[in-house]
Amino acid sequence: MVRFQDVSLRYGAGPEILDRVSLDLAPGSFHFVIGASGAGKSSLLKMMYLAQRPTSGRISLFGRDVSSLSRHDAALLRRRIGVVFQDFRLLDHLSTLDNVALPLKVSGQRSEEIRKDVVELLTWVGLADHLDAKPATLSGGQQQRVAIARAVVSRPSLLLADEPTGNVDNRIAERLLYLFEELNKRGTTIVVATHNEALISRFRYPVIRLVRGEVRLEHAETLIRTSDMPGYEASGSTTSGGASRLRGSPESAG
Amino acid sequence: MLLRKSVVPLNRDSTGRFLPWLVAVMVYLAALALVSAMAMSKIVTRWDHGLSGQITVQLPVSESELSDAEVDARRESVIRLLLQSPGVLSANHMGAEETAALLEPWLGQSSGLSELPLPELIAVEIDQVAPPDTASLTARVEEIVPGATIDDHQRWLGNLLSLARSIEIVAALVVLLVGLSAVIMVVFVTRMGLAVHYQIVELLHLIGAQDGYIAREFQIHSLKLGFFGGLVGVTLAAVTIIGISQLLGRAGTALLPELTLAPIEWAILSLLPFAAALVAMVTARFTVLRTLARIP
Repeated sequence: MVRFQDVSLRYGAGPEILDRVSLDLAPGSFHFVIGASGAGKSSLLKMMYLAQRPTSGRISLFGRDVSSLSRHDAALLRRRIGVVFQDFRLLDHLSTLDNVALPLKVSGQRSEEIRKDVVELLTWVGLADHLDAKPATLSGGQQQRVAIARAVVSRPSLLLADEPTGNVDNRIAERLLYLFEELNKRGTTIVVATHNEALISRFRYPVIRLVRGEVRLEHAETLIRTSDMPGYEASGSTTSGGASRLRGSPESAG
Repeated sequence: MLLRKSVVPLNRDSTGRFLPWLVAVMVYLAALALVSAMAMSKIVTRWDHGLSGQITVQLPVSESELSDAEVDARRESVIRLLLQSPGVLSANHMGAEETAALLEPWLGQSSGLSELPLPELIAVEIDQVAPPDTASLTARVEEIVPGATIDDHQRWLGNLLSLARSIEIVAALVVLLVGLSAVIMVVFVTRMGLAVHYQIVELLHLIGAQDGYIAREFQIHSLKLGFFGGLVGVTLAAVTIIGISQLLGRAGTALLPELTLAPIEWAILSLLPFAAALVAMVTARFTVLRTLARIP
């Protein structure tokens, strides 16, 4: 589903953000990406949703090498990826309904066909009463649900969420992760980047920890013991310097 | 209604607000340049048609005092000579009144005209297929009347033609420069729009919008602005042209050209808003596509 081979990234002449990262996320898997602020979580996700090209290395999505994609094909590939942005990125001048319908409209679906799906989805996330509301009139939690609805409305195979728990309180954040779990059970591959280690320790999903540009694989349940230890460094199951190889763990699939 | 409005709210910001007015000014200038070129070429055609096929023999006022009878005899022999020359179809003496009428636009209706020593003019119609040799004709006329000249209007017409050509070139240049400025303006406005709405553009890109989809948002907006501006500009130009042509009509002098446009010329002018819209649309599209190409 998502495969990185020796992927390195640096911005301009700056330091290496990611250093020869290799990972392989199986279809239907659920992974958390954690790491200190500036560790490269967002950059890793950006490369997954094709907003950033690596400085070196190979990225393939859905079995296709993304560096060889035409702009047209890259756009088609992006439609199979749902992204929940950290700052939601809702369009202020559009209603809830229109914001969520945007990916469908962009992919050329007709307004009449879109409406039913969108209303159904907004009902599912509990926003049936806010179809015509503008983002500014919604609470943070409601805005986030609009952002999630927009990310999943086109039934993406891969859902990426960048710090979705950052702007909301813990209770909403936890409900959000249960929502992702629900989507994962329906077959969506999910990657969630977060710095909230306490929260994800309640979920039994593999964790990609970014430390100084390298990735280490851990299991979430180990975090309960280790996350509050100062100077903690990975005690994860797979650690091999700049070229760790991760696989989606079987228990998270399906 | 669901998603009927544009995704990029370009008409809510001020980036393109001045564009129609600039386009209006430019279309106005282009329209006037085109009209002057068209008027000029019409004048040239009229003069060309009126003058080719004609030459004028001019007999100077004699320095030595000649009696009226001698003057008449001199003129008659010139006319005879002309009529015998090959290529000459007719030769008619223009009387004092006719000559005065010719001068009227320049000198006005003055009673003193008849007292002026005006040269005698003979209007000669020539065969355009086989015209007479003006040089030898002049030499033979000069044997009878020293100082006589033959004007085949070519020098004068040639000057007029090159003036007309220059005006046409200047008009074409004005239209070209106006078009170029319009392109630069639209590029500038579109880039501003892209900068103001970069977040939206990037989001559309990330959720899988093709470049053409994003470009369409901008090009439709630009098309509307260009068309509106063009309409205003061409309307103002039409008012100006009608105003000037009425002033010219009132002045009523043969020296000034007429400025009434034929239907085809009005049609050309009415195409200007469409041209402006097209230029605006295509420019906006390419500007957006070029900018998007920099986003990975």
